[in-house]
Amino acid sequence: MSPAAKKRTIYFLISIITFIIIARFVYVSLNANTVYFFSPTDLKNISEKPNGIIRVGGLVKKSSFAENKQKQIYSFVITDLNNDIYVEYKGLLPNLFQEEKGAIVEGKLKDKKFLIGNKILAKHDENYMPPEVADALKKSGKWNKKYD
Amino acid sequence: MISSFGYYSLLTATLLSLLEIITYIKNYNQKNYVAHQFIFYKFSFYFIIISFILLIISFANSDFSIISVYENSHTAKPLFYKIAATWGNHEGSILLFILVISAYGYCFIISKRKIDNHLKATVVFIQNILLIIFLFFLLFTSNPFEKILPIPNEGLGLNPILQDPLLVIHPPFLYLGYVGFSLIFSLTLAALINNQFNIDWSKLAKNWIFLPWTFLTVGIGLGSFWAYYELGWGGYWFWDPVENASLMPWIAATALIHSVLVMEKTGKLFSWTAILALLTFILSLFGTFLVRSGVLNSVHAFANDPERGLYILIIISLLAFVSLSLFIIKIPKQTNENHFTFLSRENVIVINNYFLIFFLTVVIIGTTYPILLAAIVGKSISVGPQYYNSILAPFVFIFLLLMATGPFMKWKQSAFFYYKNIFISFLLLSVFIVTTLAVLLQQFNPLFLLGILTSCYLIISTFVDIFYKKNFKLIVTNLSRFFSHLGFAILILSITLNYFFSKELTTNIKLGENIAFDQFSIQFKDSKTKNESNYQELFGTFNIKNENMLIELHPSIRKYIQPSQFTSETSIKNNGMSDYYMAMDYSSVQSEGIGIRFYYNYFIRGIWLSFILITLGGCISFYTRRYDNKI
Repeated sequence: MSPAAKKRTIYFLISIITFIIIARFVYVSLNANTVYFFSPTDLKNISEKPNGIIRVGGLVKKSSFAENKQKQIYSFVITDLNNDIYVEYKGLLPNLFQEEKGAIVEGKLKDKKFLIGNKILAKHDENYMPPEVADALKKSGKWNKKYD
Repeated sequence: MISSFGYYSLLTATLLSLLEIITYIKNYNQKNYVAHQFIFYKFSFYFIIISFILLIISFANSDFSIISVYENSHTAKPLFYKIAATWGNHEGSILLFILVISAYGYCFIISKRKIDNHLKATVVFIQNILLIIFLFFLLFTSNPFEKILPIPNEGLGLNPILQDPLLVIHPPFLYLGYVGFSLIFSLTLAALINNQFNIDWSKLAKNWIFLPWTFLTVGIGLGSFWAYYELGWGGYWFWDPVENASLMPWIAATALIHSVLVMEKTGKLFSWTAILALLTFILSLFGTFLVRSGVLNSVHAFANDPERGLYILIIISLLAFVSLSLFIIKIPKQTNENHFTFLSRENVIVINNYFLIFFLTVVIIGTTYPILLAAIVGKSISVGPQYYNSILAPFVFIFLLLMATGPFMKWKQSAFFYYKNIFISFLLLSVFIVTTLAVLLQQFNPLFLLGILTSCYLIISTFVDIFYKKNFKLIVTNLSRFFSHLGFAILILSITLNYFFSKELTTNIKLGENIAFDQFSIQFKDSKTKNESNYQELFGTFNIKNENMLIELHPSIRKYIQPSQFTSETSIKNNGMSDYYMAMDYSSVQSEGIGIRFYYNYFIRGIWLSFILITLGGCISFYTRRYDNKI
């Protein structure tokens, strides 16, 4: 092997190794920071309860909202109008949180029908429906023109 | 009436642009195609301006016979925001997009610099093709002058979070930035087609990169500031996909700025520069696609339409395919001189370019992975900010060290060992500063120490670099690098400080209640309501105590009437470089008390300062390089 070729091989090997290490690093970090979204129906249909933080979205069910004043805990039901999931949430309710409006809750599942929320996402105007929620409603066949 | 004029002037502009293309093709072999002075192109530009002005007039007059005015304006709005609504919606913003493409071509035509006629004509030809593509897109999918019958009496209103003075200038700056990269795209393709992709080209191209890059920097800075103080998000950057959409072309353009310098000074990196130039504009279009297609769930994705997204995607694929094919066929084969000096200036720049491309890749993966997953597997996911922070932080620190080293190196030769002692003294000085800071602030996290160390190192070295220049002229030519590198160092310094020392509290508070938190205590003193013409506002008065300091904050909540919506108006007071920041939240189902978000944003003003410095660097570089080396 000529010196130049040797040098090239070394550079090549170094860059391949660097690339693999970095790619692995990115992959691990991406997996660790990915949050999956589920509709209540998705949650009903999956066999295994997802660990870690997930998002659940749908409509806040009518007259399901309740407040525990001592513990400062809110509870409500998220529905895609076919299936429901019960949510307990400690924290602030955003400006646009209302019954019968779309909401996305981030948190951990206690079991498949019970979510401990730690964040509610509702940053948009009152007519806005988060796309995930719209999809969830379309999937459950309960999409209504009035949500458009 | 006005709407018809607007529409017809757009049609005329399209027609004129087509005529310009025909003229170019017809005269291509006669080499006299500059004789007509691009008259059609110029007039097409004038007609685009006219239609844009007509659209502004329609918005100002609340002419609800036009759909886009009806959907995005309201008579109760102040005139200022009626005008801003022109580009606050899809149709108007695409018209602005076209105006910017056209304007860059126009400036290129009238620029004083002597440019080879052959090249000039081809650049205008390609710019014109881009213009026509987007004019067709506008006319067929998003005509801003489309009428509505019967004419409504009142408009639907502009999203209140967009009713802010910054919104009036934020999108135009962004557009002047990333749509401005269209010209460097045309310049690159034209040079490749004409076999003029050479060192002279790089001298000509430089300015057309600096100009849009500077605008884009301002646009991103304004957007970040807007999210901070108007949206009430409490921070400066959220890795929101739309923020990423503007960051991607910025990173590519930053790499391009440096590689074009290497190309100019050493005659290397031809294909790398060409690829970056093409990539920058394609990423800009990709950003447009992300924002306009509705594939994102973001604060920017207002009204959108998947069909338009599809058109933009087709345009992107087409441009990417054609430009890459041209690149492969036409890129000049470089003779490899093969004298490889490891730490010459160009190699440090090349290594930094690799870093930038790595950052870019990380951002692209984080932004597109959720979209691809949703499209292919049908799963919705989101990627958290920690993904970006954890990957980027360590590499940014190494990047800073290289930024500090590069300017001391010489072109084509190594000077590392000559400056060895200077580098060691910088290092010692930075270590000293870091130790002092760490003891003073009682923070020993390794990432914190590294962040401060590397940014201090870069700050010291930029100052030494500029003050050790032999004469005034050299100082002036290096001033732009001084400001932008210094700005970047301060940016990383501020981000590090902000990340480790900011405090945040979200809680429910009742009138008169006192909440203690870390070294702060927050008291809800008073609240009152005020009625304005298009909203009702609830003010709160809060006393914040930080050790011996007492600060009063007055955040508020606005309930807009049309469209009915709430916005939180933040209240911010500063103490040196740090901010006390408060926003209230209101929920109709909440029984008592009010939600507040309190942030103590440590050293955040350093971030705004760094944006200003980087912009200043861009402006200076554009100004000082205006007239160099005519080709």
